[in-house]
Amino acid sequence: MLKFIAKKMLEIIPVLLIISFIVFTLVFVAGDPVALMLPEDASQEDINNLREALGLNDPFIVQYGNYMLGVLQGDFGDSFRYNTAALPLVLERLPATLELAAASMVIAILIAIPFGIWSATKRNSVIDLFVTGTSVVAKAMPNFWLGIMLILIFSVTLGMFPVSGYGTWQHLILPAVTLGTGIGAEMTRLVRSNMVDILNQDYVRTAKSKGINRFFVVYKHAFRNSLIPVITITALQVSTLVGGALITETIFSWPGLGQLLIQAVNTRDMAIVQASVFVIAILVIVMNLVADMLYRVLDPRIKY
Amino acid sequence: MNKKLLSLLLFAFVLILTACSSDESSNGEAGGSTTSTPENQNRDLTIAIGSDMLGFDIHDHNNTSTESVHQHMFDYLFKRDSNNELQPMLAESYEIINDTTVKIALKQGVKFHNGDEFTAEDVKFTLERVAQTSSLKENANYKQIKEVQVVDTYTVNIITVAPEPSIIHRLSRLGSGMLPKKYIEENGWDHFLANPIGTGPYKFVEWVRDNKIVFEKFDDYYQGAVDEWDSVTFRIIPEDSTRVSELLTGGVDIATNVPPADWDRVNGNKGTSLKQEVSNRSIFLMLRTTDGYPTSDVRVRQAIDYAIDDRTLTDIALKGGGIPVLTTVGPGNFGHEPSLYDTHNYDLEKAKQLLANAGYPDGFEMTLQSPKGRYLMDAEVSELIVGMLSQVGIKVKLEFLEWSNFVEMRTANKNKDAYMLGLGNSMFDGAYAVDWYNAKRNVDHTDYSNSKIEELLAQSKVNMDPTTRAKQIQEIQKIAAEDLPFIYLYQEKINVGVNDRIDFTPTSDEMLYAPNMKLK
Repeated sequence: MLKFIAKKMLEIIPVLLIISFIVFTLVFVAGDPVALMLPEDASQEDINNLREALGLNDPFIVQYGNYMLGVLQGDFGDSFRYNTAALPLVLERLPATLELAAASMVIAILIAIPFGIWSATKRNSVIDLFVTGTSVVAKAMPNFWLGIMLILIFSVTLGMFPVSGYGTWQHLILPAVTLGTGIGAEMTRLVRSNMVDILNQDYVRTAKSKGINRFFVVYKHAFRNSLIPVITITALQVSTLVGGALITETIFSWPGLGQLLIQAVNTRDMAIVQASVFVIAILVIVMNLVADMLYRVLDPRIKY
Repeated sequence: MNKKLLSLLLFAFVLILTACSSDESSNGEAGGSTTSTPENQNRDLTIAIGSDMLGFDIHDHNNTSTESVHQHMFDYLFKRDSNNELQPMLAESYEIINDTTVKIALKQGVKFHNGDEFTAEDVKFTLERVAQTSSLKENANYKQIKEVQVVDTYTVNIITVAPEPSIIHRLSRLGSGMLPKKYIEENGWDHFLANPIGTGPYKFVEWVRDNKIVFEKFDDYYQGAVDEWDSVTFRIIPEDSTRVSELLTGGVDIATNVPPADWDRVNGNKGTSLKQEVSNRSIFLMLRTTDGYPTSDVRVRQAIDYAIDDRTLTDIALKGGGIPVLTTVGPGNFGHEPSLYDTHNYDLEKAKQLLANAGYPDGFEMTLQSPKGRYLMDAEVSELIVGMLSQVGIKVKLEFLEWSNFVEMRTANKNKDAYMLGLGNSMFDGAYAVDWYNAKRNVDHTDYSNSKIEELLAQSKVNMDPTTRAKQIQEIQKIAAEDLPFIYLYQEKINVGVNDRIDFTPTSDEMLYAPNMKLK
């Protein structure tokens, strides 16, 4: 196991290098941030002065070299917009995003496990049709639409939750439901199909034929075994959540990484974009690693 | 069996909710909502804005909403009153000594938030920093200042590089808030940026980036503490519909930039209403006068102007949220020309005739580049223009550009026949609006040049006599209204949703100044 982890860690380095190069190139190609930083009536001279001051007149390779030298020392450059180091800004936002991701995951699991099992045990019934049908609809709903609808219903009309903001658990519910619904729907289908497979296995049939309590069969025998792929997917979804919170965070003015990244892209704030993508990439890699390890722990037959 | 499953589920859900609710006691304060005690409701003002301020370096941004936040903490030497007339603020009086020197007497007894007294040294420190540091974003607007001489503790002479008729306008806008020299020199910039102080009516409390900025009232304010509000909180809510929903539910008292689709919702809701005021931003089409483009012919430009019904644009697309204009220098700006305001040219027959005279009896094809989502209903307005021009035979190919691409198109001079732009004027001095006709600015861009305008621009730039300078600026606008390098459409309105407990009318400079907001 240790060897496996060490090997995985070593693999991270080239991955991060490639990511940093791609992101830097994309941001470079995307265009000039200076004109966006100045007002519409800025003169060409103002634009040139600022570009020179920011070192943007250097050739690509010089800029990339300078950037990588900084990155190796943990310096991702300064945000053009905020005039302050980018990495601390990004890290400062991470807890809010992780909090939202965790809450969304709880909601997704709360949806997925009971409904997935229920649907599987009632295969081909009206209930099954209802659950699978609803999960397709829920998966297809765009986050921005769902978010705005939840605000209109639960905040504006019913007054149950604050519209937006950050700080209390009430603030957390609506964005977490928005983000968790789609993932919950996808996981419901996964739990269902796993359960269906397992319920058809010989050992389950044997258990049933022995007259063991149905509840016990489902939970003791089938459910635990169907969890393995679910847990793997859960770990992978956490990283998707971190990156995918962009729209939800903007709608609910949740001060997380997603909102920061969206604004940085809009204003071509290169350093923030690069640092954010870097942090998200690390999260994805770590979550993949965790998923691999969990898989190994849950199913001792798997060897690396 | 199923009942068991259901009860297990319910149990799990209740467990999670209880676990979550334990956070309430520890984090209860951190919420942005003002639905707490009646006292809070009365004395805490919450304003929702669409984007966060950029930081506390008043010289290193040129962002209106950042200025709107800053001015609660930092006072200017001069400030525009409700009629947009310049009045002394931290200045007591001023005197123009000669073409390049203005002597300013400062108010005495003004305190910074840490108790230090505001003096001439602070003026010198503030203005020389922005005038001399070329990397600061506001440098271009202050480098006209050569130096600031301290005459005595409460008097300064501001020396400009050349005659600078707009100097007082410059000292009443962003980048000219007064900074505490002693505090910054003793503690350093980083400390100041994290713990800023000024002489303004409000003191800094907290800034949670992209979430909120909180101020509390300054009891030693030189004009007396603002009684109305104990605290002012700016909440950052980028999504329009969320911002409006916060206003409707009482989460915020003021919501900026309410889109036309939500106006009825705000007005129809009990306890909120929409307030409008004409902004200092006008929307216009910029045309190529470069040889080879149909728009190089003044008759074609005039035909376009006559074919576009500005009143329909403002009434239909903007639902009344604009005033048709023939110039960009609006009321309240120095050099405003009333005959070109609240009026427009519209005559389809005349437009067709002009096109025929110019050699395009059957019209022609042109490209209009338009930003989408930058200005109020910009895409809808562009589409209406396409329809209007088609009535006189001009087939318009409409190109929508996302804002960053649009900006790049402009800076790289990749503009085609025409593009739509909106410009504000934080100086409230028409000189900055008419400077757009300057031939130098238009090289390889619109290539517009007019010798009479050039002459008037050169004269007005160094003219220290306000009366004749205003006339020169008005004259330039009249020439441009005939020659039409740009086709002005309308001046946008500012649309602010306001809770009925507050008496507030927005101002054309788009500032949200808490001392101007009164409890009813």
